[in-house]
Amino acid sequence: MLTFTLRRISLFIFTMLVLTLLSFSLSFLFPGDTVINHSGQINATASELVQLNKAYQMDKSIVDQYGAYLTHILNGDFGQSMASQSPIRNEIIELLPATIELSLVALLIAMVVGIPLGFIAAINHNKASDNVILSLAMLGYSIPVFWLGLLAILVFSIGLGWLPSAGQISLLFEIEFVTGIQFIDILLSDSPYKWQAFSNASAHIILPACVIALAPATIFIRLSRAAMIEVLAASYIRAARAKGLSFQQIIFRHAIRNALIKIIRHVGLQFANLVTIAMVTEVIFSWPGIGRWLIESIYQRDYTAIQSGLLVLSCFIFIIHILTDFIYAALNPLARGNQHGS
Amino acid sequence: MAREKIYLEEVFPSPFMQLWGIFRKTPVAMVGFCCFIFLILLAIFAPIIAPYSPVDGNLEMILLPPAWHPDGDVSYLLGTDELGRDMLSRLMYGTSLTFGLSFIVVIFSLVIGVVIGSLSALTRGIKSSFLNHFLDVVLSIPSLLLAIIIVAILGPGISNTVWAIAIVFIPQFIHITRYAVKEEFRKDYVLASRLDGASNFRILYYSVFPNIVERLMSQATLAQSAAILDIATLGFLGLGAQIPLPEWGAILANGLERFYIAPWTVYLPGLAILFAVVATNLVGEGIRHALKLRKEN
Repeated sequence: MLTFTLRRISLFIFTMLVLTLLSFSLSFLFPGDTVINHSGQINATASELVQLNKAYQMDKSIVDQYGAYLTHILNGDFGQSMASQSPIRNEIIELLPATIELSLVALLIAMVVGIPLGFIAAINHNKASDNVILSLAMLGYSIPVFWLGLLAILVFSIGLGWLPSAGQISLLFEIEFVTGIQFIDILLSDSPYKWQAFSNASAHIILPACVIALAPATIFIRLSRAAMIEVLAASYIRAARAKGLSFQQIIFRHAIRNALIKIIRHVGLQFANLVTIAMVTEVIFSWPGIGRWLIESIYQRDYTAIQSGLLVLSCFIFIIHILTDFIYAALNPLARGNQHGS
Repeated sequence: MAREKIYLEEVFPSPFMQLWGIFRKTPVAMVGFCCFIFLILLAIFAPIIAPYSPVDGNLEMILLPPAWHPDGDVSYLLGTDELGRDMLSRLMYGTSLTFGLSFIVVIFSLVIGVVIGSLSALTRGIKSSFLNHFLDVVLSIPSLLLAIIIVAILGPGISNTVWAIAIVFIPQFIHITRYAVKEEFRKDYVLASRLDGASNFRILYYSVFPNIVERLMSQATLAQSAAILDIATLGFLGLGAQIPLPEWGAILANGLERFYIAPWTVYLPGLAILFAVVATNLVGEGIRHALKLRKEN
């Protein structure tokens, strides 16, 4: 486990270097002056520009420039937003938790719905229910997410009036900002309307989370179906059957556990996909998250914000990736061995 | 007494024809294939068969519902939008933008990916290992996110979207070609032609490619369904096709403001996207199913 951890940490550091290098080079690729793209100070006076050039070591070699940029990032200084002229760091701290909350809830829904359906399909392999589940999965995989979001709003918010269509919580509730994750903040607050606020926030998250969850859920159906079919064909299942275990016992005691391990391995990769879908969904549901902010920065050509937003978002995806790797290794001793590459 | 011996010549169809034989017998896959051909024809001939212009509106016929609605007009089969533009013509022209462009993009990335992938399969050592790791990192980034990054650098517009998506899909094809070619090179028939003195490129062209073409096609259908969704999503977000262009995602975004009074301007382009993606996925599923069956026989 120690070598595994060291290997992951070195991979983490290496990837972070590559990501910061990418975001550093974006400043050169974007139109405009590099130092202004770094700092976002579009209205800087001549003396401020001199200071900025010094801070980012623009007169020295490119390696020094990268070093200066890295120091700024490590100190938490992402520069200013070109559009609003406020520090990007504060904006990200406010917005990122909302995205984390939404994507984690969506991931949970996708797994809770997708994995059992995949298992059912695998147990009834080549029967009618298997085909029905697979066809539904293909349909779900093919629906464009923005269209699904609009249909969901049309049906559930406008037509039936069951669920709210926009935002994270009704504006009537005043929740103090502590962690940024709405549910935790509500539980921490001492407002007398705590539980009303909680149910209101849950009503707001259901629709966007379900819309995001659909595509990953269909992928989980396919993954868990394939994993289960593979496990059921293994010889230890035949051994268990020869011992006289009933079908239910085989499924619950042996097959599900072994199939789940194979699925967990793919969660990290699917999460990246899910975050991209979440970015689009945030735009439709006016969710105050980092995805919507990033897409708006593209409209406004706010290069400093695009650059830092991408860096933060990809770090977040990568951290989840590493975490699932750790969970997988903790559950499956075979994965801790010497695997080259990965 | 003469004993007649008749030896029938055994004909072995090529791997590709075997695959087609199995594929043809799967009804669902054939339905998908027919829809796919239909979309390609529509994309090519849209300017000839579309009844109206996709950009010029008829201001007397604003927000006309589809023909089956009591207020509809049969000369505007799928209704009109807020500028009186015929939805049917817009959707037809949109086929050549969303579906046609995604097809071209995938072919382009496929060719480049296959060339780089097969060249890199022939190299060994540190270059190859570096490429492998690099591809692993690139492939773990979702295609839409990468396309958004590239569009952010290049600026919005349909041509930039197409470039971005082409760049995004090249690594996938490099990876799959590299893997497939390496696997084939370990097999005995490649060794046999090597013993005959064939050069690497000759082996690649005559022995390896006929055996991996269907795997590449299966990957291409996956890539195309993703490409359709990516082009439409970027169009919807306003980063892809710009306003008068009848790209499906852009039409949908355009209808958004009148979503409640004119829902057909939103659900029709959505259905068009869904239809195109389902047709592509059915073809892909058919190929994968046929590959599996051929392997089992």
